[in-house]
Amino acid sequence: MPQAEPVAAPLSDAALIAAWQGGDEQAAAELVRRHARALARFLSGAGALEADLDDLVQDTFIRAFRSVGKFRGQCRFRTWLLTIGGNVLKDAARRAKRAKLVPLEQELRATDGDPHERAVAGEAEGRLQECLRRLPRLQREVFLLRAQQGLEYQEIAAALGTTPGAARVHYHHAVKRLKEHLR
Amino acid sequence: MNDDAMLHDAELREFAHRLGTAAAERLDVERTAGAVVERLRSVPRSTRWTWVQPAWLRIAAAAILVIGGGLVTRVLVWHRAPGSAVVVPVSEDLTDLTAEQLREALTVLDQPVSEEGAADLGLDGLTADELRALLQTLEG
Repeated sequence: MPQAEPVAAPLSDAALIAAWQGGDEQAAAELVRRHARALARFLSGAGALEADLDDLVQDTFIRAFRSVGKFRGQCRFRTWLLTIGGNVLKDAARRAKRAKLVPLEQELRATDGDPHERAVAGEAEGRLQECLRRLPRLQREVFLLRAQQGLEYQEIAAALGTTPGAARVHYHHAVKRLKEHLR
Repeated sequence: MNDDAMLHDAELREFAHRLGTAAAERLDVERTAGAVVERLRSVPRSTRWTWVQPAWLRIAAAAILVIGGGLVTRVLVWHRAPGSAVVVPVSEDLTDLTAEQLREALTVLDQPVSEEGAADLGLDGLTADELRALLQTLEG
């Protein structure tokens, strides 16, 4: 009876980071494949235009790979990546404002894609996105990391350089304000 | 927390969980991965760390400016303190001065001077002979 070949366990993020630092480009590509969609969801939730999403995801990964030496494993790689994404989005918004382009606030929702799909996405979801944009950045990011990405307060706090208690407070303030806006 | 509030929280989380899903699904991950690798490749590995240096250089330059500025200021203050006040040599050759020149000298003495210099600039420092000579000169 032929023996089944052992299935190689997928490399951990830490192993891929080490491989990238050792010069393995495919390790970097694998990290992108692994985390790009979660990052795109986070950026979209935080107010990124769909048209800009690809550029923002790329910029986030580039910035992350160039500063990966500073990543000390205080949180998961994905969480660290999301916080970098928040910074990239903020910088992009600042540049757009300076260049007097269409402000992010004016047209953040996707205008392409299937109209039926957009309709199904629901009015409430759209309103939530609108309300999220009105929140202070920290509250918005904590809310998304918690409610959208499902992270624990400990993890969120480590990524944002705050305490779990403070992260919890930010989350509850965000929820309170979102409820007020959605009412 | 009542049931309505819990339901509302659950709905909120559900909406949040769905947020951006459609846009993320439309992202071409393979293309993005290729583009990222290409961009990383375009920057030579040896220079990948140079972005850190300007930050340190800026900090070092700022520190040098602050320390240097402080030293220059300190040196200037030290040099000025004892000798910067106007000193009129009232004890020398007063007999050679005309009445007009003496009046000028006395005007200068009347001007406010630093606390340190005040003691040296008054008429108290003149000897009796010098004062006499001064008065004689003023009388013409």
